[in-house]
Amino acid sequence: MGNVIKKLVIGLVVGGVLFGVTKALEFPTVFQMMFFAYAILGAVVFILLDAPSLKPLSGVKALGALLVFYIVLCVAYIAGASLWPQYDPEDEKGKIEKILKPKRAATEQGKADELIARAKALDEQAKALAERIKALGGDQAPAAQGAGGAGGPTSTSGAAGGDILKLGEDQWQLQECYNCHKLRGEGGKKRGPELDNIGSYMTVEDIKQKILDPRSWMADGFEKEYEKKKMPDKYKDLMEEKDVEALASWLVTFKNTSVNTPKPIKKK
Amino acid sequence: MKTWQRSLFALCALVALFGGAAYAQAPGAPPVEFPYTGNRTAVWIVAQLHILFAAFILGAPIFVVISEWLGYRKQDPRYDRLAKEVMKVTVILYSMTALTGGLFIFVLLATYPQFTTWLINHFFLVFAVVYPLLFIGETILLYMYFYSWDAWKGEKKARHIALGVLLNLVGTITLFVIDGPTSFMNTPVKAEGMSPAEFLATATLWDKIYNYSWMPMNLHRLVGNVTFGGFITGLVAAYMYMAAKKEEERAYYDWMGFVGNLIGVGALLFLPFMGYLLAYELCDYDASICPYMMADQLSMFFEMQGAMVGLIFLASNYYIWLSMKRIEGVERVRMTIFAPIVMVALPFVMTWAWDRFPVPDPMSLAILIPLTLLPVVLGRFIPLTVSSRTVIKVGFLMVVVGDAIWLTPHGFVPTGAKLVAELELPSDWNFLALMPAKNSAAFTLVFVTVVNYIIYNRAISQGTIVWGKIDFASQFVLVFLAFSAIWTMGLMGAVRSLLRKYFHTYNLLPDFTAESFTPTLAYSAWWITAITVAFYVVVSFAIFVTLRPSEAKGHAPEGSPAPAGAK
Repeated sequence: MGNVIKKLVIGLVVGGVLFGVTKALEFPTVFQMMFFAYAILGAVVFILLDAPSLKPLSGVKALGALLVFYIVLCVAYIAGASLWPQYDPEDEKGKIEKILKPKRAATEQGKADELIARAKALDEQAKALAERIKALGGDQAPAAQGAGGAGGPTSTSGAAGGDILKLGEDQWQLQECYNCHKLRGEGGKKRGPELDNIGSYMTVEDIKQKILDPRSWMADGFEKEYEKKKMPDKYKDLMEEKDVEALASWLVTFKNTSVNTPKPIKKK
Repeated sequence: MKTWQRSLFALCALVALFGGAAYAQAPGAPPVEFPYTGNRTAVWIVAQLHILFAAFILGAPIFVVISEWLGYRKQDPRYDRLAKEVMKVTVILYSMTALTGGLFIFVLLATYPQFTTWLINHFFLVFAVVYPLLFIGETILLYMYFYSWDAWKGEKKARHIALGVLLNLVGTITLFVIDGPTSFMNTPVKAEGMSPAEFLATATLWDKIYNYSWMPMNLHRLVGNVTFGGFITGLVAAYMYMAAKKEEERAYYDWMGFVGNLIGVGALLFLPFMGYLLAYELCDYDASICPYMMADQLSMFFEMQGAMVGLIFLASNYYIWLSMKRIEGVERVRMTIFAPIVMVALPFVMTWAWDRFPVPDPMSLAILIPLTLLPVVLGRFIPLTVSSRTVIKVGFLMVVVGDAIWLTPHGFVPTGAKLVAELELPSDWNFLALMPAKNSAAFTLVFVTVVNYIIYNRAISQGTIVWGKIDFASQFVLVFLAFSAIWTMGLMGAVRSLLRKYFHTYNLLPDFTAESFTPTLAYSAWWITAITVAFYVVVSFAIFVTLRPSEAKGHAPEGSPAPAGAK
């Protein structure tokens, strides 16, 4: 028992030292606790190493011990997985819906759904007109036609003639460009160049060309990434023309000269 | 299990397969909605169960044949008994593999009929001709190999071993063939300047099979199957050890547990690198896969993987520690002082070397290879030694350090988009979250395990093993290793499937259903655990049914303390 306490104390001391050092080095609290937990894990391991031998079990006792062990493992793994930060699927569902909407519309099922939606919209309009006629006693023609034409499905962006820059920013989030490109201090990890000053070097057409054909331009200093074809060439299949236009139009507004956006070199 | 029972399982599998195919032929058949689990989780359950059974029946015969050959060469009946007993369990689980395979295709056809028929059309020759022929061939060879065991012994043993080799060859080919459509779903063929759909229209069957991730997946699964088979053998040994009533039986199953663990751990050493190769090829195919895995939705899945791998390596080395305790004379075993010194220095020097000379710069190897060989070289000239106990304890310390490095994330958030300073590693310490540090952690775990096995070998050559007297806790370690290995396989299987995001086939065939989102790690953990438990119940039943009655038969005493040389 004395040995166990000694090791536990050593573990706590080491954990305390790690906690203190990480605190002094301005690690976030969660990392301080993590390093403390590592020290306790070490203490547990060393306690186990010198633990007395377990007496053999047999028959029902062995079976019972096994079952309890399995239950402990199940609980430990489920609880352990649940303790890590969880990604919220709701963050993703809206994005997936937007990305797949044009593809769904292009399928037979999608076209059928669109026709049904149009028929329903027309039906609603007809009902609205009938109500107005009824309200007017059927004597007069309706004062004005119902608003809107044949109500079709809303466009992917919901920005019919609306804010193209907002649509462009939406596309930046939808296509998860931030995973490789830093912009406004967010995202990046240096897989691709920072784009805060891209508008000083490229036009809307240039940026569109790059998105649709990543081999067309190379960022200065990113030869290795260019040779390895790091930027996916899938966007020409995934994105609609108007979405690419919107994204390029939004990106071209970034002209922050204080950020070192590398010069683009035309390759094709 | 009797032959008629095995046949019944296979028949059920075939009925499920053809029933599903017939259902899918019904024009415009709407997909079924599975209650409670939903469609995606229903597919997940049967797919994962099928893979677990398949992994065992493909991995176990590899070391069964090796074990049989060792027994033949050394004239040691323990190896032959081990091989035969594992084969008995394999034959039962083969029926389960067939059943879950049939269920798998049935559930796929019921829940995603359009996608399934699309995939079958693209791999028609594989699904309709090659795979069924291989499956029939494997069945014939498996039953021939098992049922000729007693008839083909003595002078005919070599013939039996050759049959086992052929069985493994067919099994490996089967694995490679089915990996074709599986890997295609993640990394379908593509060509620069053409859309995936356009290129697919002109691609040959070989183009579709030989995609980016096919060979890395083959290698990862082949090595993983051997690891898995080894740990399940350890599980079998643990159960039988606990149930043994005679000293000789306990001694034999103690030895069997050791051998199973040795195979499992031996293959495990290569697994992190096979996994890294697979991830590398996936990221090479499409760079956006990498952030999805490591920085975004699946980042915490890899944290959990880090924790699991760390625990598995801790448990493997703990089993060696307990094994050493039953060797008489182990106190006399010593090792060069440079072994623990290199163990301590390794993660830090490796991190620096790979940071300074990133792969594939050969300068990193010029530093690291001499470092790992230092104990061997300097140990010959400088006779400073420490006890084996000290070396192993330093090793455990470095396993904990390696685990800590592997586990430390860049940020405590499930996605990089939500990273804030309060949850992010300080920039000066960011190197802990990068690949050089993670690779060095993996190498440290491997190096420590190898050194421990060297010490163990030294101990058994200098001392006397008392089989059957191992600390009873070791049996729980064997159970833990099998359970954790299965759980990790379930976790990684989920990751591989989720990599496709909202596609059935990545970038090619979208998944328009409402379930095409990334589930939480907690949700995934529940189902992985449930599948693991279901698998355990079946395996435990198989072990009980096949091996319990054999205890009643007399076996020659095999467990007396073994002096050096009689290993």
